[in-house]
Amino acid sequence: MATDGEGAITIQETRLMRVIEALSYASIEDYDSCLSLLRNLGTADEFAELETAFTIFIEELAEAKRQLRDALAETEVANRELAAKLATIEMQQAAIRDLSTPIIEVWAGVLCLPVVGIVDSQRSAEMTETLLETIIAKQARTAIVDITGIDVMDTKTADHFIKMAKAVRLLGADCFISGINPGIAQTLTHIGVDLTGIRTLRSLRDALQVHLRETEQLHPGRGGEAES
Amino acid sequence: MTASESMAAIAASPAAAAAAAAGAVAAGAEGAARARVFAVDDWSDVAITRHQARRLAREHGVAPRRAGEVAIVVSELASNIVKYGVRGEIALHVAAAAGDGFTLTVVARDVGPPIHDLAIAMLDGHDDRGPIDPATMAQRGGLGSGLGAVARLADSLEVRQETGGKGKQIVATFALGPARGA
Repeated sequence: MATDGEGAITIQETRLMRVIEALSYASIEDYDSCLSLLRNLGTADEFAELETAFTIFIEELAEAKRQLRDALAETEVANRELAAKLATIEMQQAAIRDLSTPIIEVWAGVLCLPVVGIVDSQRSAEMTETLLETIIAKQARTAIVDITGIDVMDTKTADHFIKMAKAVRLLGADCFISGINPGIAQTLTHIGVDLTGIRTLRSLRDALQVHLRETEQLHPGRGGEAES
Repeated sequence: MTASESMAAIAASPAAAAAAAAGAVAAGAEGAARARVFAVDDWSDVAITRHQARRLAREHGVAPRRAGEVAIVVSELASNIVKYGVRGEIALHVAAAAGDGFTLTVVARDVGPPIHDLAIAMLDGHDDRGPIDPATMAQRGGLGSGLGAVARLADSLEVRQETGGKGKQIVATFALGPARGA
């Protein structure tokens, strides 16, 4: 390298080409190849200062890129874990929904038991127990068991549902079963259960309307809400 | 139960039993990777397992009603593990069957005492020794009709247990697929 009188510098073409090559490696993010060209250059002159500065810049850029990649990988792992946790929560929610037997007092003296999910013998026994206890506790006079959410039941379980309705009547309350689907209707007729005294209605809405109409007839001028 | 490897099979039909046998072989050969196993220790496991069983059936194109029956069978078997089996697991295998059908096999294993008398246990309102009286029924929960429901809803049911040993395996098989209207 030589310096002429007007401050211009002259360098060997190979050194310039090496820097250009290093730059091209940097542009495709191949920092290792880039830095291997720039290390141990051995010459100490003004162009070497540029080379050193360029090297430091590339090293810092490589480090920043590496950190960014790590952070992205960590985020990805966290996202996957979060998705797995959400799936678990979803399963648990389904389990809670299924395990619990929600009995809602939709009106004074009117209980509603919406049955959703999968009903096996264990659940149907639990439902009966809870419904009968709640009828006594709330002094309910009407219970509506809505099974719109049930696709299928075992015959013994279906039979038990009818027995539940009869037990409700024994406690002195009315029991409506609403939302029986064709499959369950066939199951019930197939096993030949005695449906005497069991009131079945198309939907929860119909059951409530029937209840209100009958209440109105018993107490003209008063709605179901006023009685208690 | 006299043989060292006691076995009792109750099949809805010979065809279903054959399908079950074919399904078991297929499950062993290439279905292992597709088996899904759920540990069953408490009631929340029962609920989770039945939901996963239903989902698995639906993912394989099984109609809602039939998928519901699969879920009920899984639920009854899982309930029995919690009530009688000490601890155990439910494994679900899906294997290809003849034509474009497939079998879904539910295997319930537990480490509890053996079923004393299977024929009695199968009866509704009974456990493995006889009728369950109302007080015990209320205390245990359920209707005593779990195994009966499994036999009614599945295409075949097989109970395997070692004489005098602990632990048992109950295998319920469903023959599914378009050919069966599922």
